[in-house]
Amino acid sequence: MTKFKNIRHSKYFNTFLWIVILIIAWEIGATAVAATKRSPENILPHLSGIIKSIISTDTINGSQTALQMVLINAQATISRALIGFAIGTALGFILALLMSRFKTVEKVAFPYLMIIQMIPILGMAPLIFAITQDISKSRIIIAAILTFYPVATNTLAGFRSVEKEKHELMESYAANSFQTYVKTMIPASIPYFFTGLKISAPMAITASILVDTLQGGVGLGCLLSQALKGAMSRYVFWQIVFLSAFIGIFSFLLMGFIEYLICPYKRRGKNQD
Amino acid sequence: MSTHKKINTEAVKSVLYPVLFGVLIFLLWEFGVLNTILHTDTNILPPPSRIASIVAENSSKIADNLSATMTVILIGLAAGSVLGYLAAMFATRFPYFGSGALTVLSVFNAIPIVALAPVFNNWTKDVSSQADVRSTVAKILVVTVVCSASMSINAYRGLTELKPFSLDLMKSYAADNKTIFMKLRFRNSVPYIFTSLKVSVPTSVITALVSEYFAEYRAGIGRQIRDNISIAQYSSGWAYIVVACLIGIAMYIILMIFEGIFVKRTS
Amino acid sequence: MSDMLNTEIMLKDIGMVYRTNDGRDVTALTGVSLDVHKGDFVSLLGPSGCGKTTLLRIIADLLQPTSGEITVAGGTSREARLSKKYGIVFQSPVLYDWRTIKKNVMLPLEIMHIPKAEREDRAMKMLELVGLTDFANHYPKQLSGGMQQRVGIARALAIQPQILLMDEPFSALDEFTKEKLHEDLLRIWAKTNKTIIFVTHNIQEAVFLSNKVCVLSPHPGRLSALIDIDLPRPRTMDIKETPEFTAYVSKVRNSFEGV
Repeated sequence: MTKFKNIRHSKYFNTFLWIVILIIAWEIGATAVAATKRSPENILPHLSGIIKSIISTDTINGSQTALQMVLINAQATISRALIGFAIGTALGFILALLMSRFKTVEKVAFPYLMIIQMIPILGMAPLIFAITQDISKSRIIIAAILTFYPVATNTLAGFRSVEKEKHELMESYAANSFQTYVKTMIPASIPYFFTGLKISAPMAITASILVDTLQGGVGLGCLLSQALKGAMSRYVFWQIVFLSAFIGIFSFLLMGFIEYLICPYKRRGKNQD
Repeated sequence: MSTHKKINTEAVKSVLYPVLFGVLIFLLWEFGVLNTILHTDTNILPPPSRIASIVAENSSKIADNLSATMTVILIGLAAGSVLGYLAAMFATRFPYFGSGALTVLSVFNAIPIVALAPVFNNWTKDVSSQADVRSTVAKILVVTVVCSASMSINAYRGLTELKPFSLDLMKSYAADNKTIFMKLRFRNSVPYIFTSLKVSVPTSVITALVSEYFAEYRAGIGRQIRDNISIAQYSSGWAYIVVACLIGIAMYIILMIFEGIFVKRTS
Repeated sequence: MSDMLNTEIMLKDIGMVYRTNDGRDVTALTGVSLDVHKGDFVSLLGPSGCGKTTLLRIIADLLQPTSGEITVAGGTSREARLSKKYGIVFQSPVLYDWRTIKKNVMLPLEIMHIPKAEREDRAMKMLELVGLTDFANHYPKQLSGGMQQRVGIARALAIQPQILLMDEPFSALDEFTKEKLHEDLLRIWAKTNKTIIFVTHNIQEAVFLSNKVCVLSPHPGRLSALIDIDLPRPRTMDIKETPEFTAYVSKVRNSFEGV
């Protein structure tokens, strides 16, 4: 009985409950749509239909099943997003480092970091594509820009969060600035750095998919455009919607998991008082 | 005296350095150096002066598209924020169900707009027989969903992370839930509302622009950026990008002004 | 003046003037002169705003006085800092959340490039001294406030300094924990023979721990009295019940000028 109570009161159960509620709501909606519309899969198909299309072995374009097709395109999108994400992370971290080390760099860069935050970078995707003339490069650049500023601002906040006493402690040890960064500043900024990564990982994915839609070729976004135009089974569209939602959520959770792995001190129990 | 002078020069530097940097980029751009660096001609990357003249020449067309986009942003932002706040109030009133709902919402926050926009287009097919109306509704709904997620999470924190003992104090007055909400929780949540808006204002702009890409009816700043560039009208594309950036910056500045007024008064 | 060989810290006419953002001068300290002998336990006692923490940071070479002379461990305060002549303990433990207790104590030794085996050895010895051997592999968040402050003391002692500088180290702790740490600190002091400068705003604490209490008064911060505490050692809690202790407490309290 107490065990059941524990499960019932755990956060996971509660979340699980809401997922069940959402699934039920979806199915009710799908049933209603199925009863009134001629082609319900265009509006709200049953989840079972989507799952069936995922596991189906029928080929769509002669050689690939729907799932194979979606996954091959997803691979192109995700790999570009990943490269952009990695470049953006590195640049963001380095800029934060330079800004915390050199006041002049901070003075010059900080207002622009604020402005980048306000302007719609994703809206510039067509232009970046026009300048680079290369879909892969555009994906990488946009994903990198979108990753860059959350990482830079959050990491900088992490460097600034180091208490005055820790700086004094380092000074009392006559530590040089390299030691101060390695022993104090960088480890202290790690949780903030991951806050930035959690914001930017789904954004990098979104960016990569969006840039895909600008041109034909390989990529989740291209496939999405084609599916929307009715070039293939509507279930391909739904697979892409669910897969991109899944990748977005997964990338967010993955960053949390990596943080959990490299920060053992966050895992242990709290105060003994 | 020297310290006093130093403070002044520091303040001057923090304005001067970024302005000089901006002017440098502007000059490099205007006189074609950026084009050389990026290996592009002045057709794809026109100088700022040409972009400015195009904005001026097409002002009435830009104004039409601007109003289409602003309608989506403002209604979506308002509806999403209100919905998000209501969800947070619900979660505060019924913590058992509410906290789980917010966890699910925060995860939904990571769903790409690109996946949401076409879905809402499908769902709003029957809203109106006019393409422009149903497209506008679809776009507003996407912005609403995106904004409500960030508001609900932040507002919930604002409604529940109260100062120690303040709730005990209210209970000692035998205050009812309504009074506790008005006198305590709402006041406490105001700074959190602004934290949420600082995220959702830029997000609402970008969501509106991107959902225009997928909309059935061609209208709005975002759609103009894309369509102009796809027909190689780069200068016009740039003009709309400048407008899009100005929307983002203007809305953020207005938000900061409101924050200055409301947060100072309540805290 | 006392024998130079026996002097650990010498302050001569120390003054400290800050300039505020609106351009006003604020005198934090003026004309502070003080001799601290080797092995002394000196308290800097005063209300907030008397400049006691500023004075400690001047000794630590974390702040530069605007006037006066200072000698620490036979050299300038800068030389003393560079050659790790002092260990410092702050009001909050200032532990590194991402390091285990042992690694927190090893931190200064890493910066001094001491070989790993010796680092481990010294850290464990220090943890034994403060009674935290069993917690070596815990993280700071898992420890109580009192235990965290013990780690701070162990870390300060790990560099084997001559001097221990303590900035209100126990002021955030509850009375029971504080009394326990007082006894422990006196035990460690007796065992290691350090010179201790101890900043506090608690009269009883200053009298109980020190053999010399420097009373500082605010506006502007200055040394208003210097009182030797001739209570027997080793001191235990019982001493607080004696008339001698009470008399010292009154003497210190009466030495404040219009506070």
